[in-house]
Amino acid sequence: MPLQPWMKLLSTDDHLIEPPRLWTDRLPAKYRDLGPRIVEQARGEGQAPAEVWNYEGRIYPYIGLNAVAGKSPEEFGLEPTRYDEMIPGCYDPKARLRDMDLDGVWGALCFPSFPRFAGTVFLDGQDRRLALLCVQAWNDFVIDEWCATAPGRLIPLVILPLWDVDACAAEIRRTAAKGAKAISFPENPVPLGLPSFHTDHWDPVFTAAEETDMPLCLHFGTSGAAPRTAPEAPFAVTITLFATNSMYAAADLLFSPVLHNHPRLKIGLSEGGIGWIPYLLERADGTWERHRFYQNVNQTVRPSELFHQHFHGCFIDDRFGVEVRHHIGVDKITWECDYPHSDSYWPKSRAYAAEVLADVPDDEVHKIVELNTRRLYNLPA
Amino acid sequence: MSRRPESERSDWTDLDLLTRDEAYGRLQEEIGLTVSRLAELGADDSAEHELLDTRLRALREAAEDLNVQ
Repeated sequence: MPLQPWMKLLSTDDHLIEPPRLWTDRLPAKYRDLGPRIVEQARGEGQAPAEVWNYEGRIYPYIGLNAVAGKSPEEFGLEPTRYDEMIPGCYDPKARLRDMDLDGVWGALCFPSFPRFAGTVFLDGQDRRLALLCVQAWNDFVIDEWCATAPGRLIPLVILPLWDVDACAAEIRRTAAKGAKAISFPENPVPLGLPSFHTDHWDPVFTAAEETDMPLCLHFGTSGAAPRTAPEAPFAVTITLFATNSMYAAADLLFSPVLHNHPRLKIGLSEGGIGWIPYLLERADGTWERHRFYQNVNQTVRPSELFHQHFHGCFIDDRFGVEVRHHIGVDKITWECDYPHSDSYWPKSRAYAAEVLADVPDDEVHKIVELNTRRLYNLPA
Repeated sequence: MSRRPESERSDWTDLDLLTRDEAYGRLQEEIGLTVSRLAELGADDSAEHELLDTRLRALREAAEDLNVQ
């Protein structure tokens, strides 16, 4: 069995649900009513009211999920809309650790839920001062409370005040000093109304990420633009195409100035799978060979070389990706669990990983499930 | 005040949270498999037996916690 009992599974893509008092416990008194807080909303006769977030008077339904696409409003009631309808491991770090133990998982990097995976909900904020305090409150919660419950097992990832690039850089340095290990960043800022990777706008962020040696984790969907072919297409089309967002992000960055100007920047493609990588690199190199001469792209470094210097990916059950791992680079692959989403194999993630990695040599398995993540995210053994 | 956010802007569209019922069902299934594996073990598999026993207890505790609330 290539996955040995002593290998510690580290997941580079899990999620947490914010506890109800995350912001009210941390914001100054004058902001407590405007900042995110849980309120009840009627859900229909005979049903307990839903618990929803209220942020500056805007209502954001579902504490933990917004799986509305492809569902009629009548079906929304099937999903948890109250904390007491969720498994406690969603929002309670001690319960999370027990669930990780049951699952054979040692460590987990957790993305936000209500703030969206890269904190982009705070771009909606009318009061920028409040929005900044909300970002800082989430980061402080993750570092001081969630991850402090089990240092070395719960891995701190932080979000940024994306409307202010200098504040982003300051927040990276502030949280790095407190122990943060990774930064969640939009896979593409443009659909969010922000400048693209093809400008120098984000340079202070990339410089701060290099200086603090923290990867930028681009979770698919964080651009706010899900792949859709037609309004009436079943949601299965979108789910099938989710990884194309990671392909967009990779191609966008490979042909941008970012990686040339920031040679130590690390990019994680979160939840995007890995099987597509060899194809995309072949295609990008071919494009570069034929079409670089008349375009404003770097003329000396092949995209595949840049990819291998800067990127890493992760997978849950990408058997094809595991099969073509040497075309991706074994050092560039990490494992993910995706708890507490139903995509995860909890409580048998370890058994499933062992099955997917059954034909992989032990030393490569160890890199994929543990050592690569320790190296990329600076996690000592 | 809007009743719902702009769901099309959300990146939660892949967020299909494991429900208590689903989690309970998964735990019950794993408990059944663990019990079966324990029954298949021979007398000389004491180390494996102990590991599975510990896992079985933990699975049952977790299932009980989800079932009582």
